[in-house]
Amino acid sequence: MLQNKNVLLIFRLIVGGVFIWAGVSKIADPLSFAQDVRNYQLVGPALSFLTAIFLPWVELIAGLWLVVGIYPKSSALLISSLLLFFIVLVLITMIRGLDVDCGCFGTFSRQADWRLIAEDSLWLALSLALLFSPANDFCLLRKKSSKA
Amino acid sequence: MGLKKILADKETWVGLGLIFGISLVFGLVSHPGLIKRFLAGEFQHAFILKEDFPQVVFISLPEAEAAWAEQKAVFIDSRNLEEYQRGHIPGAISVPLEDLKSGREDLLLRIPDAPEIIIYCEGGDCQASLNLARWLESRGFKNLRIFSGGWAEWTQNGLPVETNVAE
Repeated sequence: MLQNKNVLLIFRLIVGGVFIWAGVSKIADPLSFAQDVRNYQLVGPALSFLTAIFLPWVELIAGLWLVVGIYPKSSALLISSLLLFFIVLVLITMIRGLDVDCGCFGTFSRQADWRLIAEDSLWLALSLALLFSPANDFCLLRKKSSKA
Repeated sequence: MGLKKILADKETWVGLGLIFGISLVFGLVSHPGLIKRFLAGEFQHAFILKEDFPQVVFISLPEAEAAWAEQKAVFIDSRNLEEYQRGHIPGAISVPLEDLKSGREDLLLRIPDAPEIIIYCEGGDCQASLNLARWLESRGFKNLRIFSGGWAEWTQNGLPVETNVAE
C-alpha cells in the first residue's frame, strides 16, 4: 500500500474536505435534503427526514476527523462505506430510470448520473488507500502501534 | 493492514460509535423546531414548510375529480412526454419536469390562467408533481394543487382518459 506520508496527507485533505463540504452544505437546510432523499423513492417520509437530520453531521464529523486525524481508520472506513453505498444507490437509480438530483452538496446539487459515479469512485479509491495504508502521520489521535 | 484487522480492532468501532453518537446529538439539537413539527405529524406529504410554500395544497381524488368535472382548474401532467402521450387526464397540459430542469422554461408558457392549477404525476411514490409545484411557486404561480394519487389512482377508478400524440 501507499507509504508516502505526504501523498497520504493530501488524500486525507481532499477526501475529508469533500465530506466536510458535503455535510456543511446540507446541514443548514434539512428539508431540502430530505426531499432529495425522498426523490430516490427508496425510503418513506419518516426515514428520509431522519436521514436528512443525521447524515450531514456524519459526513461533516467523519470528514473533519479524517483531516485532523482523530480515529482516522474509523473515519476512512465510514467514508469508504458511504461512498460505496452512494455508488450503488446512483446505479440502482439509473437502472430504475429515475431522474433525480443527487442531493450531494445542498443547493450545489446536480443530476445523479455516470459522472457522479465516476467522481464517487475517485474519492472511494483515495479513501480506500487511506484505509489500508499503515502510515498515519500528522494525526491528533492515533494508536501507538501504528506500524502493525 | 487488512480489512479483517481493521474490523477486529476495537478502536475502529469506538471511533465509529463516537461519530454516530456525536452526529445524532448535533442533528437533534441543531433543528429542534423541525423535529417538533415532524413529531407532530408534519412533512408526511412533502418536505416543505407551509409558510414557505403557501400556494401549494395537497388534494385527494374526489377534489381532483370535482375540479375536473366543473372545469374550474387546469391540469398539469408532470411526467415525461412519452408517458403523457400514452394516456393522461383529459385536457391536461404536458409540462414534463425533467424537460423543465434541462432548461426548457418555455414550457411554462403553456400554462394558461386558471383559478386553480392541479399538478399530478404517476402516483404512488412519485415526486415530480411536488417538485414541479415548488418550481411553479418560485416562478410566481398561484393556487397550486397537488393531486398525489396521480395517474395511477385516476385510472384505477375508471375515470376518463385521453390519448393523443399532441403535446
